[in-house]
Formats: sequence, structure tokens, C-alpha cells
Amino acid sequence: MSSILSVQNLNKSFGNKHVLHDVSFTVEKGHIVGLVGPNGAGKSTIMKAILGLINYQSGEIKIANQTVTPASHAALSKVGALIEYPGIYPFLTGWDHLQLFADGDHQLIHIQEIISQLNMDSYIKRKTKGYSLGMKQKLGIALALVNFPDLVILDEPMNGLDPEATKDLRDLIISESQRGTTFLISSHILSELQQLASDLLIIDQGAIVQQTTMHQLLASQGKQTIMLATNDDKTARQILKKAKFKMTADPRLEVVATDDETMPQVLRTLVEADIEIMDVKRLEGNLESSLLEVLKQYRVAQKLAKEQA
Amino acid sequence: MGTLVRQEIFKLTRKKSTWISTGFLVAVEILFAILSKVYPKTFVPASTFESLYFARPIIIFYMIAATATIITMEFQFGTMKQVLYRRYSRGQILVSKWLAMLLYSVYWYILSLGVAMLLKLMLFRHQLSIHQSAGHGLSIFAQSLEVSAATFITLWLLLSLVFLLANLFTNSAAAVSVGIIGYFATNIVTQLLTMLIQKWDWTKWNPLTMLLYPQMLAHPGVYQPLLNMQAWQMLLGNVIYIALFLWAGYKVFTQRNL
Ligand SMILES: Nc1ncnc2c1ncn2[C@@H]1O[C@H](COP(=O)(O)OP(=O)(O)OP(=O)(O)O)[C@@H](O)[C@H]1O
Ligand SMILES: [Mg+2]
Repeated sequence: MSSILSVQNLNKSFGNKHVLHDVSFTVEKGHIVGLVGPNGAGKSTIMKAILGLINYQSGEIKIANQTVTPASHAALSKVGALIEYPGIYPFLTGWDHLQLFADGDHQLIHIQEIISQLNMDSYIKRKTKGYSLGMKQKLGIALALVNFPDLVILDEPMNGLDPEATKDLRDLIISESQRGTTFLISSHILSELQQLASDLLIIDQGAIVQQTTMHQLLASQGKQTIMLATNDDKTARQILKKAKFKMTADPRLEVVATDDETMPQVLRTLVEADIEIMDVKRLEGNLESSLLEVLKQYRVAQKLAKEQA
Repeated sequence: MGTLVRQEIFKLTRKKSTWISTGFLVAVEILFAILSKVYPKTFVPASTFESLYFARPIIIFYMIAATATIITMEFQFGTMKQVLYRRYSRGQILVSKWLAMLLYSVYWYILSLGVAMLLKLMLFRHQLSIHQSAGHGLSIFAQSLEVSAATFITLWLLLSLVFLLANLFTNSAAAVSVGIIGYFATNIVTQLLTMLIQKWDWTKWNPLTMLLYPQMLAHPGVYQPLLNMQAWQMLLGNVIYIALFLWAGYKVFTQRNL
């Protein structure tokens, strides 16, 4: 196993606000790693620290075994990134941007390849002043990929992308990853991340909650649920609750399947209560519910630890 | 470093404002040359030539604006992260911006001087000899060159301060206004300054005095006794302040969180 990125005991404060607490993790070469956590958890801050954009109080960051600090950026030569929102000069065309940030002219073919993979041909020669949000976002992603990076760091890359562009991006990330490129991606669009990431880093309030693989997380947390639609969801929900079925937290009519017997039991209960069932769906464990569950457990544990202290 | 400077120059050449301001500068020079030809009493050919047909003050404004924006535009457009996360160090990035501005100021000086020479050749061939004496032993041409060099240095004193302020405030309004105020302040506060210097000699070492360096060269008899300074002392003072302001801007730039 060889890791391309290692972060050890990273601590960061803004003034007296401690934002990152002893963050440590490693990223394996060629993997697509999802960085997930609530707003303000510290995802962007971690990424900025890796890119040498902020000073931090303590910790060590290594890319391909070479230390990165705000003062020494040599290790970043093989890194591409898009942090928070793309930085774009309105007076340049998209093409100008790619040329400006490309190391050397020999990459024209590669630039052209990225442009067509992201479907940007029709406007790439226009001034970016007139670009829409999604067009800018795509340009930002293209810029991150332009120098054949070994490690790509993307912060909310699906921001503002339409479904087609989202799919184009997913295909692009997967094809680049098959060439051996490593990705660290933060996103709140968990359904998308679930299709992409092989590994997961879950953070909350500036601390790593869990480093795991997508498969493990889904298996450990991913209970199957049964989603129903009836002629009277509200009553149905009350009836199922009364019958001691485990329901998900949403106001949705969704029952957690504890075993294979759950489905027939639920259906029988509803039929006996004269509720008409319009639709039944069995849902596999998904990243969203698993993540929320992990975060809930983590917060409860944190609270307990605090109370005991 | 060459790559970085080239990238900065590339951005400059792609800005419309670069070309509009070039056109404007040339137009102003032509205008003042014609005025000087038509009304030689009001616009004395020797002195309009010396000011490069009014190009010199315009260049100062251009450079103040360009220096402020070369830093602040990166913050304004959110491109600073993109510029900085690459393999180059922050010091290299900032120095490349200094060098780009140095080249840019050289561009303006060469352009304005070239246009002025051309205009002189076309319009004043028989009226004005640049070898004619400007007093104190220098020809008009030599004097014009010397004053140009001195304005170039004091321009950089202003620009180093503008660099510092642009880095501090990441906002060009503040940096540009201080630069322009600095430019006008020298003329306004000269009297106050000379009073101070007559009372306490050491106050002559403040940066505002240094901005009077071109005037000192143009009229040494007037300024030398007022400021208690020699030309070489002012040159040295300029260089020291430029280094100081650039260094402070560098510190601010390298410490910033993005
Ligand atoms: N420049 C700054 N000054 C002060 N506090 C900051 C600064 N940047 C970030 N923070 C704080 O650091 C914490 C982490 O912010 P960060 O942007 O890393 O969160 P995030 O996980 O990326 O959130 P989001 O999902 O909303 O993008 C937040 O509490 C935020 O308020
Ligand atoms: Mg963020």
C-alpha cells in the first residue's frame, strides 16, 4: 500500500477558534476519497491546508512523501485543485485560462480532451465574463485537471452543474482515476459521491469521525428500508409506529427493515387497518442515511464523554 | 520565474484597459504637442517636451492603478488560490508581480519617450533643439532624461507603498487613493515639510521628502537649501524606502490565510 497523501495531527485555529483538532488520515494512490461532514466541519480548511494556502498551528502534511507547508510548495507540482468556487478572470476566455495555467505547450491535446469530455467546446473561446455558474464550475474543474495531476482535490465539484454535466464530471473523474489519478472530493451531494468514492473520510466539528471504505460504511450502517406510498400516509405512519415498527426520522413513510419478515408484516398491518397501498419500494442502504446515523452516534458519544469528564 | 512573469504579462495584454490606456496616452501626447505648436507662448515647447507632452503624470496614475489591481484582482476574482496552490512559492508569485510591473513601467516610459521624440522631430525640428541648454550645465535632452529617471524612482517609491496597501487591504480603492494622494501630497505639503526640516533637521528623512527627488534635480538651486539634502542622499532614501515597503508587503503576502 502506498499513500500519496498523509496528514498527521493537523491543528488549525482562526484566532481563538479551534477549527481542526488533531486531524490525521492518509489517502491511497489511485483511490477516490470522499470527504464528508456537515457545513462548517472543516472540509475546505483541510483542503486549503493540504494546498499550502493557510498557516496552521501544528501538524505535518506530506504529498508523495514530500512535506508541504505554506512556505514550501514543491510537492504541489503534481496536484490539481478546485476549492470552494472557481477563480476566473472575466477578461480571459476559457481557453486562455487553460493555456495560462498549463505547464508547457505540449498539453494542447490534453486540454482539448478535457474540453470535449466536459462538453465545453461551444463556449471555450468566449470571454468568461458571459459564462453561467455551471460553465464557470466546469472551467474550474478543467483547470484542476490540466497538468496531468497525480492528486486532484475538488471541493464541492458538482456545485451548479446540471444533471448531464454531473454525469460528464462523474465519467471524467472515473476515467482519470482509472489512469491512476487520486481524488479527494468533498461534496454534500451524497448520492453522487456514493457512485464515485471508494473511501470515505467523515469529519465533524473539525475532527475525524471515521475513515472507512464506502462498502464498509454501507454494510455497517446500511439497513434496508421499505418506502411506502398509501392513500393516507399520516394515518399509516401512526399505525406502523403503534405496531412498534422502526421508522426513519423523516416525515416520509419509511420503515427500517430489521429482517426479511419486516416487509410482509408491514403490508399485513396496513391492509388490516384498511389502508390502501399504492407503492412499495425496498431501498438499499444509502450514504445519506448511513452518514447521518454515524454522525448521530458520534455526537451522542461525544456528549457522554463530556458529561463524564 | 520567467514563466510566472510571462503569465502576468499575458493577463495584462488580454485586458482591454491596457490597450485603451495606451491609445489614450498617445492621443494626449499628440494633443499637447499640437497645442504647443499652435500656442507656443502658453505651452512652451521646451517644457512640454520635458514633461513628455504631459505623459509623465498620466503614467504615474496608470502605474498606481495597475500595481493595485495586479494584486487585488486576484482577490476580487477569487483567483488567488489558483495562483498560489501551484508549485511556486508565495515569494516567487509576489516577485513575479513586481517584475511584471517593472516591465510595465518600462513599457510606458519607452512608449511615451518614443512618441515624444517622434512628435518633436515632426513638429519642432527647427524650433527646439534638445541640445539647447536648460541652465545648470545640462542640455534639455539630458535634463529630460535625468528627471525621467528620477520620476521613475519616486514612482517606484509610490508603487512599493501601493503594493503594501494592496496586500494589506486586498482592495484597490484604498491602495489607489493613497497612491494618488501621495502623488499630490508632495506638492501640497512641500511648504510645511521645508518648515519642519528647517526646525528639526532629521525630519528630512521621511518618505514624502524623497518624493521631491525629481524636483530637486530639475531645480537644484531651489530645493537643496530648503531640504538640507544632496541629490545622492535622496536617491539613497528612495531606495531604502522602496526596499522597506516592498519587504513589508512581502511579509503581509506570505502570512495571509486564504
Ligand atoms: N478565514 C476564516 N476565519 C475564521 N474562521 C474561519 C475561516 N475560514 C473558516 N473558518 C471556520 O472554520 C470552520 C470550518 O470551515 P470550512 O470552510 O472548512 O467548513 P466546510 O466543512 O468546508 O463547510 P461547508 O460544507 O459549508 O463548505 C467553520 O467553523 C468556519 O467558520
Ligand atoms: Mg467548504
